[in-house]
Amino acid sequence: MRPHAPPLLAPLAVGAALLIGVYLTAVLDRALGAWVGGRPLRPGRALAGPVREAALLVLQQRTRTERSDAEAWALAPALLAALAAVGVAVVPLGPAAAVADVQSGIVLFGAAVALVMVAVFLNGWSANSFFPLLGAYRFVALALSYEMPFALVLIAAALPAESLAVGEIVRSQVGLWNVIRQPLGLPIYLMTALGIAFWGPLNLPDAEDLAGGTRAELSGMALLLWRVARSAVLVAVTAMGAAVFLGGWQGPWLPGWAWMAIKTLSLLVALLLAGHLLPRVRQERFVVFGWVVLIPLALVDIFLSGLLLLLR
Amino acid sequence: MGLRQALAGLAGAAPVPVFAVEGPGAGAALDAVRLDPRVRLVDSPRAANVLLVVGGVPRRLLRPTVRVHDQMSHPRCTVWWPRGAPTRRLATRLPGILLVGPGDDAMSVVMDTHRTLLRGDRPSDPAVLPDVEPAPWRGVGPYRQGGKGMTGGVPFGRPMATRAPDRDRLELDFLPVRIGPCIPFFPPGLVLELRVQGDVIQEARIGEPAFVLSPDRDDPFRQALREPVLIVELERARARHHLRWAAGALRFHGLGALGERVLRLAVASELNVADARALIRLLERTRVLAWATSGVGVIPTERLAGTGLGPTARATGLVEDARTEDPAYRALGFAPVVTRGGDARARWRQRLEEVVQALELAERADRRRTEVTGVVESPHGRLAAGSAPTAALLERLPDLLAGQEWGDAMTTVVSLDLAPALPHTPAAP
Repeated sequence: MRPHAPPLLAPLAVGAALLIGVYLTAVLDRALGAWVGGRPLRPGRALAGPVREAALLVLQQRTRTERSDAEAWALAPALLAALAAVGVAVVPLGPAAAVADVQSGIVLFGAAVALVMVAVFLNGWSANSFFPLLGAYRFVALALSYEMPFALVLIAAALPAESLAVGEIVRSQVGLWNVIRQPLGLPIYLMTALGIAFWGPLNLPDAEDLAGGTRAELSGMALLLWRVARSAVLVAVTAMGAAVFLGGWQGPWLPGWAWMAIKTLSLLVALLLAGHLLPRVRQERFVVFGWVVLIPLALVDIFLSGLLLLLR
Repeated sequence: MGLRQALAGLAGAAPVPVFAVEGPGAGAALDAVRLDPRVRLVDSPRAANVLLVVGGVPRRLLRPTVRVHDQMSHPRCTVWWPRGAPTRRLATRLPGILLVGPGDDAMSVVMDTHRTLLRGDRPSDPAVLPDVEPAPWRGVGPYRQGGKGMTGGVPFGRPMATRAPDRDRLELDFLPVRIGPCIPFFPPGLVLELRVQGDVIQEARIGEPAFVLSPDRDDPFRQALREPVLIVELERARARHHLRWAAGALRFHGLGALGERVLRLAVASELNVADARALIRLLERTRVLAWATSGVGVIPTERLAGTGLGPTARATGLVEDARTEDPAYRALGFAPVVTRGGDARARWRQRLEEVVQALELAERADRRRTEVTGVVESPHGRLAAGSAPTAALLERLPDLLAGQEWGDAMTTVVSLDLAPALPHTPAAP
């Protein structure tokens, strides 16, 4: 029996992990923004900033647009957060500490990630407004270009473990982490993870050139939830990256959960820094790059992983 | 203390979300707002609590400003920083508006008003326009979503999609869209009328040109038209202008923090060549000068020959610069910097190179003054009495945008630096 949390404790554990992750994302993003912007970093402001801004958004009333699809609009951030929760739930924190280290964890994770497209599309479409709608279509147009290589490198990582359970994939990395064994894996994973969480250079649906895109018409609580859910997706993909490519809980001296936290945070910092240093990609160019470079490279990654497995 | 008060206390310490509307004469006032950690400029009025109107509000900006006001969420208020412009018109439309007087600190007014708003000591601004649909909706079906005569044109006050061949000759929906004059990354006042198919712009038209932001008397380039001015002042102003543009373009490309760094350099009292070079090295390491701009909005050299369009023309390989006609510049060993390519990346490179060149000239110029009046090379191009380089550029914009994807089209608009240098629209409302 794989480790899993009792049914009543599971939602609490996932919720707590996501909230801590989202808060740390906001703090780190502020700190890195201050560093890149050449502005003095005030730890107090960085630590309290997310809470203060959340309070501000709680006090702000939600606006409505003409003939919006109210139900779908309310559902979008909830769906996005739920998908992030599913993603986090399958990532084990330690050999015996997981919310749901199910047998086909990596497949469940991939399915949750694929549905992010639905949440983003709902958010953009429901507002019945031009910029959000354009943002929504952009995400749909791009999604396959990074979801395919994202899923392919995850499958490649599952090959040496001969299992789809994330816990088994972590165990298969004893002595040799996948980041070394499959050198193509982590770079492709991180590049495409930015797309899944529509962050930084791959933030096309909520981009500045659309005055905020799918979030352009959001305010107050709805905007807060959307921002939290989007950060939660980033946390989920970095946690999975740490488990699948960086050996998860494995490491000397510290307890397993601490290693997981350190590895997840390092990936998070890398992605957040990319967000501050790399400009938004051009849509058409990225689609071409995805199909011509990323997908073939991800297939090479699978092929080499399979070959190594056969030769073992 | 109730929960609301506790939240208001916390929220009062957060940066105030501000949506800014710039009118004629706004100048570079927003730079200080952008660099102030107590406020945060947001890109949609929905997310703002404070509407900050900077500069004058001419008739054509009045209704858009009122619409932006009504689009904001409660609690909301409006602060107007007129900077010398007449104040009656907007104050009549928005009765609750707060004026920043000549001796007042605009940021303090914003902060204080926001705090009183959160505490509930000041009522949130009510809507000004009626919250009704532009015309009764007469659709049919379970969601009243369909009906006859609902494609094309503007039935019931709404622009509807209709069909037209796209660039691959497929019959697809197209939608007429009017954007501006308060889009954050647009030159203030600019309105574009577009027909889009998906996110491809099939046709573009200039609805309204951009405003003149800089008050005439403060502009050294305008002064240089009338009398000899210190070259050091002129060149520093050029470097600052291009850096300000770069800061805005970085924000547009999703690099707000880097944009802040550049803006801080643009407004710094000491501006030297070494800092500018270090900045350019940093920007080259990001991919702004590569994947974000390469091949976007290409203007062929022959289309700009003889137009005097400054950095935009020189970015296509043309050696055109009014400074070559000035003996004072020739004595400094001035030779125009030229980049090839004619795309947005070339325009980026051109402006960054010109920043370094301008600062080098400023270092060498000592107390030397310009010797030619009546014509001056402004950051936008050749400026002469009665001519407006950005107006000439604006005329070429529709052809440039047609056929581009949304992101590329907007990158093109940003890369052209269309905020006018000379009034081709009335400066005062």
